[in-house]
Amino acid sequence: MHNKQSKHTLLFIAGGVVLYFLSGAVDELRVYQGASIAVYVIAISSIILLTGYSGQVSLGHGALMAVGAYAAAVARIELNAPIIACFVIAVLAAAIGGALLGAAAARLTGPYLAGATLALAIGLPSLANQFSILGGEQGLLFDVGFPPLSLGEEFTQYKWFFWIAALAALISMWAVKNILGSRYGRTWRAIRGNEVAAALCGINSARSKILAFTISAGIAGLAGAMLSMTIGTVSPSAFPLALSFSLLTGAVLSGITTLGGVMIGAVVLVAIPEIADSVANRLGSSERVTTNLPGFLVSALLIMTVLFVPNGPVEQFRAHKVKKANSKLEKK
Amino acid sequence: MQLINTILIGITAGSIYALMAISMVLVWRSTRVINFAQAGMALLSSYFGFEAVSKFGSFWIALPVAMIGGALVATLIEMILIRLLVKHSSTGPIAAVAPIIATLGLLGVIRATASMIWGGQDVRIIGPVSNDGFTVNGTTLVFSPLKLLILITVLVLMLILSIIFQKTNIGLALRASAYAPEIARLSGIKVDWVRTLGWALAGATGAVAGMFQTINGNGTLSPDSIDFSLLLVSGFIAAVIGGLDSLPGAVIGGLVLGLMISFVLMYISGGLFFIAPFVILLLVLFIRPQGVFGAKAARRA
Repeated sequence: MHNKQSKHTLLFIAGGVVLYFLSGAVDELRVYQGASIAVYVIAISSIILLTGYSGQVSLGHGALMAVGAYAAAVARIELNAPIIACFVIAVLAAAIGGALLGAAAARLTGPYLAGATLALAIGLPSLANQFSILGGEQGLLFDVGFPPLSLGEEFTQYKWFFWIAALAALISMWAVKNILGSRYGRTWRAIRGNEVAAALCGINSARSKILAFTISAGIAGLAGAMLSMTIGTVSPSAFPLALSFSLLTGAVLSGITTLGGVMIGAVVLVAIPEIADSVANRLGSSERVTTNLPGFLVSALLIMTVLFVPNGPVEQFRAHKVKKANSKLEKK
Repeated sequence: MQLINTILIGITAGSIYALMAISMVLVWRSTRVINFAQAGMALLSSYFGFEAVSKFGSFWIALPVAMIGGALVATLIEMILIRLLVKHSSTGPIAAVAPIIATLGLLGVIRATASMIWGGQDVRIIGPVSNDGFTVNGTTLVFSPLKLLILITVLVLMLILSIIFQKTNIGLALRASAYAPEIARLSGIKVDWVRTLGWALAGATGAVAGMFQTINGNGTLSPDSIDFSLLLVSGFIAAVIGGLDSLPGAVIGGLVLGLMISFVLMYISGGLFFIAPFVILLLVLFIRPQGVFGAKAARRA
């Protein structure tokens, strides 16, 4: 086990080095998209932890991201906190929100939980209009500042965003991977598999579920802060219901139980608007179609995945391989 | 006077929520799926209604057109999507969340499709009677002939539905398939078709909710309209208050929710429009997780 963990750590360090060189080699737009991918990676891994492992559905992660983003922006503006502290505050604030939500969620199952979190996703962002400190419909500025001069003159703002987001993504992936491999990960899987049997083994299922919600929310909060960093502002309209849905789509595309597939979901989510654009341009369709094609594709993909590769491409491939190996064994 | 106003507005909005809740309950009873796409289907049906209004010029032709359209869409969805879903995704860790995810995807597809066809500008559906309030003793109420009409139509619809359920063979088949599908099948009921019928009824009911939600608001219809997000959440919450399984429960749930929201908006703050339903839902779920009218929770093991 110890050996495996240090292997993971090495893997993540290697990933960081690759990203470092990659960010120097591609153009500005790709760097920006890279930052978006990193944001999605963080957010999707929080969904995988929650839904794939502890078996709870949340359609409200967009709202938890908003909590993190607002917390970071308020800390930046009101307290003039250093940027790392802002991100830590984002994680903590969202985690507290998640713990409260989790306490409610632990009593709910399946569709009830989905509906409750859905109501939250619709309701919470509009609450920002109620408090003047949150800046209403316009929202707040969230400025992480220019990249440090020591990185050189040519180091662009987007590249700086990308670095921060990629580092955060690596750290949170590493953390999630280790949490899922720990006793808690096993506990969550036991509850997902059979709650009664888990309870008979002495697992306090309510407490474990709340813990899952808290951790997942904290990670979502980090993703929210990262998202608002890349767009520069925090406003209710940055966290629409569609965001919560795309996160779920990303998680399902990645394979809801396979953390390793998380890149697939994130890349697809970022690539879809661009693909949709080029398809719409080629067909020469009207603006109405062009603006709505991404949403259509995301949703259609979601349905298709649930119907035909319900457990995700990675899992499907693995199952296929196991099946093949088994049939080979039988022949022998 | 303000009190009467609040109550009347609450009841009108509540009766629309009740319709939405009924359609969610119908789907839940027939296939054990919470249909998060119900509001999207209502939206689509309302656009059918809009097309009919602009072609024939009469709301009373548009309403049945919307209902038939809604029923057809629901039938198609059940026959294609839901049957495939049951076939492919009922095992593995995804099983518990697959229906939720699929219907959410459906919501997205419907919204995007509606935006592609009708999006860009708001279209209007004009109600059959005026939405200007009645005047009593010189003061003008918010309660209008239109709201009265909505209330009456909803009551008539509920009456028709309860007659279908209580007095006809179709209703008996619907109830039997919901409570004991195996036994219903043994008694010669084609459970699959009854399920499809349940969806179709839900589609038609949801269509009425969509049409009324539109004309009860400012009359405009748009795919991103917040009215429909609210309809989705409120329908769900009303159904949960009613216990998800009970039609009378859904009606009462809708009315209770409508009244509560109306009172919160009038006496606490108008800005709580979106967060109030959430708080109400949490309260209900904390006090009675199985809903006010739901049966006792089944044993888990």
